[in-house]
Amino acid sequence: MNFKKILTIYRKELLDLFRDRRTVISSFVLPIVLYPLLMIVFSSLVSRQEAKLENQQQVAYLIDEIHNENSERIIRELKTTKNLQLVAADSISIPEKLLKENTIQAIITLRDSVGKSGYPTVLSKIYYNKADEKSSFADKKIFKQLQKIKDILVQERLQELKIDEELLKTIDIGEENVAPPEKMMGFALGKFLPYLLIILTIGGAGVIASDLVAGEKERGTLETILVSAARRNELVIGKYLTIITISLITVILNLFSMYLSFHYIMSQANIQFSDFRLPLANFALIFFLMIPLVTFFSAIFLSISTYSRNIKEAQSYQMPVLFGGIMLSMVSFLPAFELNFGFALIPVVNFSLLMRDIMLGDFQILYLAEVVVSMIILDIIAIFVSIKLFNNESVLFRTAEDKSLKFWGKNKKNVFSQQFVIMFFVFVLLILFYVGGSWQNINLMKGLVKTEILIILLPTIAVLKISKSDVKRVLRIHYTSPLNFLLVLLMALPVFVLAVLSMQVINLIYPIPESYIEAINKLVQSENIGIWKNILIVAVLPGICEEVMFRGYIINGFGKLGFWKAIIITAFLFGLLHLDPFRMIPVTFLGIWLGYLLLKTNSIFVPIFAHILNNSIAIASGKIIDKIPILNNFVSDGNFPFWTGIPAIVLLVIFLHIFNKINQSNEGVV
Amino acid sequence: MIEVKHLTKSFEQKNGEPLLAVNDLSFTADKGEIVVLLGVNGAGKTTTMRMLSTVLKPSNGTATVEGYDIIGEPQKVRANLGFLSGDTGLYNRLTTRELITFFGKLYDVDDETIKKRIQEMADFLDMNDFLDKKIDLLSTGMKQKVSIVRSIIHDPPVMIFDEPTAGLDILTARNIVSFIHKCKDDGKCVLFSTHIMREAEKIADRIIMIHEGKLLAEGTWEDFRMQTNLQDLDDIFVNFVNQTKEREQNYEFQENPDDL
Repeated sequence: MNFKKILTIYRKELLDLFRDRRTVISSFVLPIVLYPLLMIVFSSLVSRQEAKLENQQQVAYLIDEIHNENSERIIRELKTTKNLQLVAADSISIPEKLLKENTIQAIITLRDSVGKSGYPTVLSKIYYNKADEKSSFADKKIFKQLQKIKDILVQERLQELKIDEELLKTIDIGEENVAPPEKMMGFALGKFLPYLLIILTIGGAGVIASDLVAGEKERGTLETILVSAARRNELVIGKYLTIITISLITVILNLFSMYLSFHYIMSQANIQFSDFRLPLANFALIFFLMIPLVTFFSAIFLSISTYSRNIKEAQSYQMPVLFGGIMLSMVSFLPAFELNFGFALIPVVNFSLLMRDIMLGDFQILYLAEVVVSMIILDIIAIFVSIKLFNNESVLFRTAEDKSLKFWGKNKKNVFSQQFVIMFFVFVLLILFYVGGSWQNINLMKGLVKTEILIILLPTIAVLKISKSDVKRVLRIHYTSPLNFLLVLLMALPVFVLAVLSMQVINLIYPIPESYIEAINKLVQSENIGIWKNILIVAVLPGICEEVMFRGYIINGFGKLGFWKAIIITAFLFGLLHLDPFRMIPVTFLGIWLGYLLLKTNSIFVPIFAHILNNSIAIASGKIIDKIPILNNFVSDGNFPFWTGIPAIVLLVIFLHIFNKINQSNEGVV
Repeated sequence: MIEVKHLTKSFEQKNGEPLLAVNDLSFTADKGEIVVLLGVNGAGKTTTMRMLSTVLKPSNGTATVEGYDIIGEPQKVRANLGFLSGDTGLYNRLTTRELITFFGKLYDVDDETIKKRIQEMADFLDMNDFLDKKIDLLSTGMKQKVSIVRSIIHDPPVMIFDEPTAGLDILTARNIVSFIHKCKDDGKCVLFSTHIMREAEKIADRIIMIHEGKLLAEGTWEDFRMQTNLQDLDDIFVNFVNQTKEREQNYEFQENPDDL
């Protein structure tokens, strides 16, 4: 790589962008002009509206049921209320109707009553319409006035009895907020600033990125630059730096503009701004932190832009990233979320929580380091993906694809295309979510049986039958050496131990809520239906149905990608289907194991057997561990000690070696 | 010089079947020589040239440009090559001078030389009026001149022209033709593609006819006229296409006599 060339590209891209009206408007003009304008218009509208309400005449109907000196005095005092017109009425029914129609703003009733001590008490009630701003305003005004009258009357009564007013002051309650102004500000800003910054960053990077590669494709300049002496990675890095620069400028401008507008609003509202100093040191830290976030999104958008054929396509692919980012960034609004080791690894969420902590002034250096390091690693991965895409000619010269939705064509090849397989998977996933979930809520066991057979097995068979595929060949219903089953049986225990251990490790990072474990335990050890029936429903049935769908059908859609990619993608989808973030990772591992067994033996019976074994051991372990005292010494609270992983790995390696020897000839993917 | 050896490129089609855009193509082009790749649309001319300019990677076979392998040393290949096509876009928001300077820098040409070359070429192609105008404001002919200077700013020994006159008016096309002759006079190796027979006749020292990715015939027009006993260029081309077709049919017949 030649830095001089990167710099040449970088300079040219910046010059190019600064001359683009669209970029200048969206990245520079908009933030500078929009916020002040918005704030000024908004604040003047609010204050005008308030003034308007204040000066507006409000009408209140007054129903006096007492008609004595006392009530008349109250009415006299009420009449002095500014901009309030009182109209006498007899009954409440008509005024109430008028109030609901917003014709009048309030009704005041005065009723006679006698207190316990024998003194007369006036019961006064204000009827108002909260859905109407004018009415609410009238309510407040009348309430204030009545309070004033009440105070005067109390004072008079006390004077009559010759009691000093001071007597009523038993406790004088005072409040003082000790939080320093910065912290107050931090608390308020900490909630919405991360959210705002993340959206601004994503939005800013997106506009630029879509122009830089997809835009070049659209304008036909990409080939010109590709035949020049610049290397592909020099081009990518040059463009990457451009996106980062412009989005950082956008973020800074946005913040600056927001700060000033905020300042303006505060001064308009007569709030001393010096009391609400923004914590500037923290702002500096946040800027430093913005860099890994900006670089991360820049790399993602650069990849999207490289993949897309034109700007429009790039922008539509950006939408999911944008929405995902917005959703994740909203975590800063949620009070229960605290930054921990696990959250520090999740992009966007980690920034959102960390920035909130920084604005509050108390964050942990360890987490800050973790966030930065994990983001830098993700950055490097993302930029490598960009470079790889940029080096891929089929991506760079992607031409119009067949966009028709003729999935159910006569061509047999169609049902085994990636596109079709993924559509099928999404279809099953949605049905499972909408239908399967409610079945299982009604009756767990019956629901499971119905789900497995009707949602997972039947659609798979239907697709294969309708497409007239050779079911035996596709599903790999082939004979295999009995030795394979024996080996899978021998490997089942070490595999299970490793699965549990990996679950424990994940548990350390993302602790699983207690309530969740209880729910899972209920599923695995339903006492009342007996262990054999339980194994049949929770182990055998899923073993067959899920294997037919995933290892039988879906894996064929990714066969072209090669042995491992086909296994891993299928396993990932398998993990997704369980609709459970906590089990996602272990189930994916299980899927990789099952896919490996399938492609090695070329027989679906082996993964079915292994799947059934795995689920059965899970059921059995829950029941047996408690009943065998020796095992109880090993396993505390259902956790295996970590040293058990070593013999498990040794055993697995030995058995796998034998297994691979037996199945050397098979590595075929359809 | 350019040496193409068994160059092959296959693309995957929508239905998953491979399409051989270039099929086992071999030829050479020497310095001081104008070689024309002649073929109808879709014959594989652009794909061949894209492989030579290292934008596409060959599926099989290879080629060298000035002795550098297009697969092994794409960097060196691009540094020794000027590429001009009818539809290579330019950065519209830059001025002529900025754009050419940018490309010059990418080719590691020093600033002084860039300035000097821009002046030389501007005088030669009559471009002084719009050197500091934004490309957006230029006419098609002016843009093509900018493209010419862009492609030769690093004074490469090999020039590749991919249908550079497509869609241009006579005057602009003439600029290009005279530029190509200048390249030849300067001792450069020139590879030029077109589907217009007359253009090929006017400019070529040697012609390489390709059809459906394969080499159809190679030689000068004189050679072709002698071989076919035909005068009209179009007739000669069609004649070669038909000959190949017959040969292929015979071949298929020998392979599968039952089919007929």
